[in-house]
Amino acid sequence: MIIIVDSLNKHEYPELLDAMFQLRARVFEGRLGWEVNVVNGREIDQFDDLDPAHVISVDEDGDVVGCMRLLQTTGPHMLSDVFSCLLDGEPPIRSSRVWEATRFCVDTKKLTRGKHPRSISYVTSEVMIGAFEYGLQAGIKDAVAVIDPVMDRVLKRSGNAPYGYLGSPKPMGKVTALAALMDCSQQRINNIREFSGIRHDVFAPQPALSLAS
Amino acid sequence: MDLIDLSTVENSPEHHQMFLDQLCERLGLDYGSYATTSPVSGAVQGYANYPDAWKMHYMRRNLHLVDPTIHRAALSIAPVDWSRFQRDEKFEAVFFAAHDFGIPNKGLTIPVRGPYGDRGLLSVTRHCPDREWEKLIPKIIGDLQMAAVHMHDAVMRSDAISRALRQPKLSAREREVLQWVAAGKTMQDIGDILLISDRTVEVHLRSAREKLGALTTVQAVGRAIGLGLIYPK
Repeated sequence: MIIIVDSLNKHEYPELLDAMFQLRARVFEGRLGWEVNVVNGREIDQFDDLDPAHVISVDEDGDVVGCMRLLQTTGPHMLSDVFSCLLDGEPPIRSSRVWEATRFCVDTKKLTRGKHPRSISYVTSEVMIGAFEYGLQAGIKDAVAVIDPVMDRVLKRSGNAPYGYLGSPKPMGKVTALAALMDCSQQRINNIREFSGIRHDVFAPQPALSLAS
Repeated sequence: MDLIDLSTVENSPEHHQMFLDQLCERLGLDYGSYATTSPVSGAVQGYANYPDAWKMHYMRRNLHLVDPTIHRAALSIAPVDWSRFQRDEKFEAVFFAAHDFGIPNKGLTIPVRGPYGDRGLLSVTRHCPDREWEKLIPKIIGDLQMAAVHMHDAVMRSDAISRALRQPKLSAREREVLQWVAAGKTMQDIGDILLISDRTVEVHLRSAREKLGALTTVQAVGRAIGLGLIYPK
């Protein structure tokens, strides 16, 4: 299930946010070796103070298993500041119709391979559906996402390939990072749903039927 | 959408009001308003085409201090439907009074963020049944997003220092795309020339247009030539 947590409703979800910051620490410092600031096992940076929206995937046990952070490209965001190297020194895109997606990750420790609801592929698709449906409703046409090559491959394999890239990939810790462009469209959402078999409303609790399957 | 281009006219309340009037007329809305809070003084600067009686009441009661469309919506990255606001005393202070002045309770606030941490809010309202409102918003949300940034940028550019700081910074790609547009090429042509997808061309073009404060591609090309960013054909 997807929950959008922003500064309008974050007081309702303190535990969820805390678990998300811990997941980000495990993934970005632990697994990917990015130079991120981790305090008490939680990865939090200055962009978390700029009232972003977090797309959070919660599994049946109530654990945070995936997340993504969204910011408007009209205001301060990562590509305009810390990831500007990815753009080869060029100024970033600035558009009311483009959101930036960063800190996109899933819990590879808890999730497994395959396409069932406890799989990496399923949760990745669920987070993307949540983000794109949220964006579509907000009048957003495209997203620029900072991702690593592994995530890039996962997206390509799951009916969700980026249609373009900005700048060029750059080393970022143990892996490289790249800025991928994805259209925020019903077409793309349909493709992801088709691939993942997710047909229900991702913002509501999953129906019992799919829990049993 | 045919609107007065705020980046080419003097920054006056009349022009902002005209922009709001045109926006409402084009998109089938009753009223529109824009507000921004100074990060330094906390003072609220705003424009609206509400009836004067409501504007007077709003100012006399200092309702901007509690107005959730200003203080709450700025926390979101997405447009906030007024039905999402908590029904607390602050909400009631503004919305119950607004109702008495005939202001519709169906509304949407589009939050804008600028590069220097500045934030602006464009709010629109309309008297109509729930179903009509729900059908209207998806149709106009894209235009509202662009109008909100256009108006915010125009207000932020209102003094000389801001104008100097806010010289549009176009990337090489954005200049290239504009140069080919000026030469009359289609998105598809430009994609083929630059070896990128036509959707990527579109994203660069839209970004260039908004950075230049232009509402249309023709305006953007003209302005880019004027600023010496691209060559005339």
